[in-house]
Amino acid sequence: MTTSPQNDPAVVEAASALLTEMKGVSVSLVYAAFLTDDGFDVARLPSRVTDGPRFASMASSMQALSDAVAHELRIGGSEYLIISSLNGYVIQLRVPGSLMVLSALFDNDATVGAALALTRTYAARMTGIVGG
Amino acid sequence: MGAGMTTAIKALSEIEVVSTEANNSERDVVDKPTTTVALDYGEIVLSNDEKIRMYGIPGQRRFDFMWAILKTRAEGMVLLVNNDAENPIAEMLAFVEDFRELCYKGGVVVGVSRSEIAPQPTTGEFARALAEVHPELTVPIFTLDPRSKDQMQMALLTLIVNLEMRETFGEAGVQQA
Repeated sequence: MTTSPQNDPAVVEAASALLTEMKGVSVSLVYAAFLTDDGFDVARLPSRVTDGPRFASMASSMQALSDAVAHELRIGGSEYLIISSLNGYVIQLRVPGSLMVLSALFDNDATVGAALALTRTYAARMTGIVGG
Repeated sequence: MGAGMTTAIKALSEIEVVSTEANNSERDVVDKPTTTVALDYGEIVLSNDEKIRMYGIPGQRRFDFMWAILKTRAEGMVLLVNNDAENPIAEMLAFVEDFRELCYKGGVVVGVSRSEIAPQPTTGEFARALAEVHPELTVPIFTLDPRSKDQMQMALLTLIVNLEMRETFGEAGVQQA
């Protein structure tokens, strides 16, 4: 049986390091987490805005629902999802080729394009670590 | 987890079921490849303007935000309990507590699954445990196989009859029946 990402110390450490680096690159990044497909926290930035494990579960539900909508509408697999709100937005996408998801909350000082590009970059870097 | 919720919705639904399955990383808890992380959705059409909408939601507590969304809108619930779980009676009682309002309006049927693998506890033991904690509650309890359309329909019909009797006669009507 393979070790799940949340129980693999090497993956957890690498994911934590990537998130810390991501936060260093963007001052607009409020919160970010790597999570498993089925809603377990792998690593997250320290935060007062949310309970990490609970957010991981919600994020995995959102991911699955967006996949279900894309499937229903026959538009292919969902690539990313964005929740835009008054005080910020969430960008979420799969770590390519893996069963992990990167979800990130940005404040309104960043543009959606820049935030999406950054999130994509770090999801792809995670692929380099976990394989894909 | 592992009680057969997705299977049950698939057995009952007349439309293609909307599923939100994800890779299960808790294979040490329940050895199945995928698990539902948001909901399963299916429908039974009753007439041109009536249908039963069925939402299957995950039982793991970490998804309790989905429970909160659905329990305020649901008319009734078939609570599937995996009899092969470590403590199925405790699980049932915990869910009855979490869905207390729905239970007390007569909107719950308990379906005990996997009893062919784990025959104990019996439905009688489930009923006695429930009566001890909630003596005023009337909840039908069945053993069932979620793969069986007939058995799932029986559970669903029981739920509907229970709800309709409540609506027509009030609580007393259900207890006399």
